[in-house]
Amino acid sequence: MSPRALAGPEIQRILALVPWIIAHPHSSKQEIALRFGISVDQLDDDLALVLMIGVPPYSPGDYLDVEEDEAGHVTIHLADYFQRALRLTPAEGLALLAAGRALLAVPGSDPTGPLATALSKLEEALELPGLVVDVGEPTQLEAIRNAVAGHDRVEIEYWSAGRDELTTRRIDPEVVFFATGEWYVGAYCHRARDERMFRVDRIRSVTDTGETFEPGATEFETRDVYTPRADDTRVTLELAPAAAWVAESHPTEAVTERADGSLEIVLAVSERAWLERLLLRLGPDALVVAPTEFATLAADAAKRALGRYRESDLGRA
Amino acid sequence: MPDAPSRVERVLNLLALLLDTRRAITREEIVHDVAGYPSQITAYRRAFERDKETLRGMGVPLRTEPIGDGSELGYRVRPEDYYLPDLGLDAEESAALRVAVSAVSLGSHAGEGALLKLGGLADEAVAPIASLPIAPALAMLFEAFRAHAVVRFTHRDRVRTVEPWGLSSKRGHWYVVGFDRDRDAVRAFRADRIDGDVEVGEADSFEAPADFRPDDHVESRAWLLGDDPAVRVRLRVDADYADAMLAELGSDATVDDTDVREGSTVIEVAVTNRAAFRSFVLGFLDHAEVLEPAEVRADVVHWLERAVAGRP
Repeated sequence: MSPRALAGPEIQRILALVPWIIAHPHSSKQEIALRFGISVDQLDDDLALVLMIGVPPYSPGDYLDVEEDEAGHVTIHLADYFQRALRLTPAEGLALLAAGRALLAVPGSDPTGPLATALSKLEEALELPGLVVDVGEPTQLEAIRNAVAGHDRVEIEYWSAGRDELTTRRIDPEVVFFATGEWYVGAYCHRARDERMFRVDRIRSVTDTGETFEPGATEFETRDVYTPRADDTRVTLELAPAAAWVAESHPTEAVTERADGSLEIVLAVSERAWLERLLLRLGPDALVVAPTEFATLAADAAKRALGRYRESDLGRA
Repeated sequence: MPDAPSRVERVLNLLALLLDTRRAITREEIVHDVAGYPSQITAYRRAFERDKETLRGMGVPLRTEPIGDGSELGYRVRPEDYYLPDLGLDAEESAALRVAVSAVSLGSHAGEGALLKLGGLADEAVAPIASLPIAPALAMLFEAFRAHAVVRFTHRDRVRTVEPWGLSSKRGHWYVVGFDRDRDAVRAFRADRIDGDVEVGEADSFEAPADFRPDDHVESRAWLLGDDPAVRVRLRVDADYADAMLAELGSDATVDDTDVREGSTVIEVAVTNRAAFRSFVLGFLDHAEVLEPAEVRADVVHWLERAVAGRP
């Protein structure tokens, strides 16, 4: 790492903690360290550095003064110029507002509570414009969130897009979250006898079983809604330039660009119907290179769909 | 002899001096006063450039002003530009912001950076509830929106000149919504489809309508994002899939109760982008079928025939 990369965060932390200590004299080092996400040892190093900061003519009274009592409580004097933190950058102001507005948009949030008033104060004091965040509210979201909160085992009717089937299953819903534009519930599925992720908008009904479960059996990462598994089939596709978006919007394991602008990508595929659907949508812009058993997947799916049109044409004639 | 000051120490002392000074001061005065600069001229100039870059990179409003007869440049940081105003947050409000930053993942550490400046991070970890990744272009668009500055950017290979009237997030995507000066109309642009940098023009270059609601102009349903002549399409969908389809089509889709057949539902919906609509319908494999209008039906049939034939 370059020295430049190292210096930034340390400087920013010191510029943030000095004003806080000035405003909160006699605070314990443990509390300060906790607030600023560092160890007490790191805080000691930071405070040793603070003692070296001053202004001309650099006589003893021109340096910041850190006073520590026997109990480990810290006070900083003589730092008028660092009495307040640095203004927020546009990225920081945006991040606070975006996170706050997103959380407020989650159904069930208190629209007039402390988060709402905090955001209003932030917008007013920093003259920040408003943001509008919509995270949607699928029909069964409230029922699922209640089940998560109450550790209730529930029975759901679920349309599995990957397998293209409607199933009824008992689940122990552990977490509910919004990612890639959809609400998901992570649960232990008694039918699959494994952890599963369900899209809340594809849950048709939620029925209470009267049973509860012990939470904490599973851990879900919200960041990766779909995590490729070792036993997923690896499928190599050739994509025309018009279908290059597939490489951006799906987790690929390899992408090779050819001279003519077409791409060769490798996708981990767990459900056949998911791939059928993708290929059918891409039509002539995609070709399965491997495995060969999938070479006619798109054509076969197209035949089935076409069969439906032919049948109804006959019915009309 | 004491150790040579570290770079962090040098930059902090530079900033203390720039904030404390009442007048702009020259580079030579600075490197003379602040401990830790090399004595050799090209070396201290390079070191000073790096330090300025570090400060500006953190958002320090470092000013350059002509001094004396104007032949020299001086530097200073005006406290009123630097200091974060008092937000007047009470303990509950501060805690609510900390919870929000830890519960909503934006794919950057900017939220934590903001919390440090506001006096500290979350006391304990909160389970994440939403992930809404922020595209790099969004911070620049936000600043332009705040400053009423016109922006220029490349969106899907086209250069756009836009008055940013609002920012909005829908279905997990962030949009800048505003007046497209070339097309003379209000348009929404997905921020993650903007390539490269956003050019920000002069501040106070436009006034957005007071009652402007950016979300009214954000359309995430692809079949309504196009300039094809508007048609109302009739679909027959297997009953088991009707709810899922209606949920995705949104509020303006209607069920035709007069056409009831065992095991299926007829749905009507407006379409202005036929290619996107075909893609949507094909997502239902053989569980859905376009009934009317005839040309939309023929387009899907033609597409399927080509898929059966395979690539030429």
